Amino acid sequence: MGAFDRPINGSDTNRKLTNVRVYTFLMRTWNSMEEFEEFLDAGGVVEPNDAMPESYRNAVFRFIELHANSEYMGGLTERDWIPKAPGMHRKLTALAKTQDEIGHAHLLYMVAADLAIKTREEMMVDLLEGRTHFHNVFHYRVHSWTDQIAVAYLVDAAALASQQAVFKNCSYGPYKRILRRVIAEEGFHMRNGEEMMLLMAHGTETQHDMMQESINRWWLPAVQLFGPDSRPGDELLKWHIKSERNEVLRDRYVQKFVPQLLGGGFTIPDPGLRKDPVDGRWKISEIDWEPLKKTMRNGGPDSARRIADARTAWQNAHWVREALDSSVEVPA
Amino acid sequence: MKTYEVFLKKEGKDPFIHAGSVDAPDDEMALTYAREAYGRRSEGDQMWVVLRCNVLIADEVELEMADRTHKHNDGKLVAELRRTTLSDQS
Repeated sequence: MGAFDRPINGSDTNRKLTNVRVYTFLMRTWNSMEEFEEFLDAGGVVEPNDAMPESYRNAVFRFIELHANSEYMGGLTERDWIPKAPGMHRKLTALAKTQDEIGHAHLLYMVAADLAIKTREEMMVDLLEGRTHFHNVFHYRVHSWTDQIAVAYLVDAAALASQQAVFKNCSYGPYKRILRRVIAEEGFHMRNGEEMMLLMAHGTETQHDMMQESINRWWLPAVQLFGPDSRPGDELLKWHIKSERNEVLRDRYVQKFVPQLLGGGFTIPDPGLRKDPVDGRWKISEIDWEPLKKTMRNGGPDSARRIADARTAWQNAHWVREALDSSVEVPA
Repeated sequence: MKTYEVFLKKEGKDPFIHAGSVDAPDDEMALTYAREAYGRRSEGDQMWVVLRCNVLIADEVELEMADRTHKHNDGKLVAELRRTTLSDQS
C-alpha cells in the first residue's frame, strides 16, 4: 500500500492523532472509495494517522462512542449494587466488575478521542445531556438482586457475543487491539453471572421464583441488544467494522441460551417460542422493534433517571477534576 | 491533561508491548491510571509510561525504502546451487 499526495473524496488531512511529533509529510491515503474498500476487503487495517474517508471515520467513531457510553452507563449500574450485594464475596466481585466497566469506558473513550472528532470531555457532556446514545439494556430499571444476576448472565453474554463478532475481523486497528482486553474481562463477568444463576436455579423455591421473574424481565431486552436485522448494504459490515449480521448473532444467542435456561428449570417469556421440527433450531416470536427505537432515543422506562444519575456522578466528581487540572506542573 | 502511551512487559523474553493510552494531569497520576487501567490482571511485571508528545512517528515511505532484506544472500538460490554441486559430484 503506497501513499498518495491527493486526499480522497472528503477526507480531511488535518485530522490526525493529536499531540505527537510526526516526522513525515505523507499520510497513508487512498485514491478513491473503491480503492479504500478493496483495501478493507483484503483484510487491511486502518490506523489513526491514515487519511481515511470521512464517512469511515465517522462510522467507526459513532460505533466506538456508543460502546464507550454503554460501558460507562453499565459501570454506574454495577456500582449501585456494591452496597446491596449479599455478602463480602459478592461485594468484592461487584467492586471488581465496576472497575472493569468504568475501565473499559476509559480505554474506549481514549480510542474514540484519537479519531479527532470529539474530545473525551465532549463525549461525556453529550452523553450526560442526552445527545448521544447507549445500549438498550441500560435503559431499564434493575429491581432486585436476581435482576442484577439476569443482567450479568443474559445481558453480558449478549454484549460479549456482539463484541466478539467485532473483534474477530475489525478493520480499525486501535479498536480491535483494545477489544482483546475488554472481551477477556467480559468473559469473567459472564461466567460470574452463570455461576450466580445456577446457584439460584438450585436454590430455594423463593430464589428460583425470583430468578424466573428476573428472566421474564430481561430476556427480551437481552435478545434485542443485537438490534433489528442488519440492513442490506450496512456500512459497518461493508467496511469490516462488524463481521456478522445482527440476525445471525441473535439466532446463535437464542440457540445457546434457550437450552441453558430450560436446563435450569426456568421458562422463557415468549409464548411463540418453538423448536423447528425440520432443522431442530429454536425459533422466537417476531419482535416488535418500535419500543426499542424509542428506548434507544433515550426514551426508555428508566432512561431519564439513569442519565440524571450519571450527571450527578459527574457533578459530584467536579472537585476531583479541578484538583487534577490544577496539579498540572509543566505544560506538555 | 496530557496523553501518555502505556507499554507492558511480561516476565521472560518478550519485548515491551504497547497496551494503550491514558490521559493524566501529571506523571504521578499517569502511572496510577496506567496501572489501574492496564495492569491489574497480571498483564506484565514491568511497565513503561511515555508522554505521547515524546513519541516520534517515522515516515512510512522512508521506512519502506530502508528495506535491507538479504537479497544478496538468497537462501533458495544457494540451496539450488548446493544441490546441483552435489549431484555433479555423484
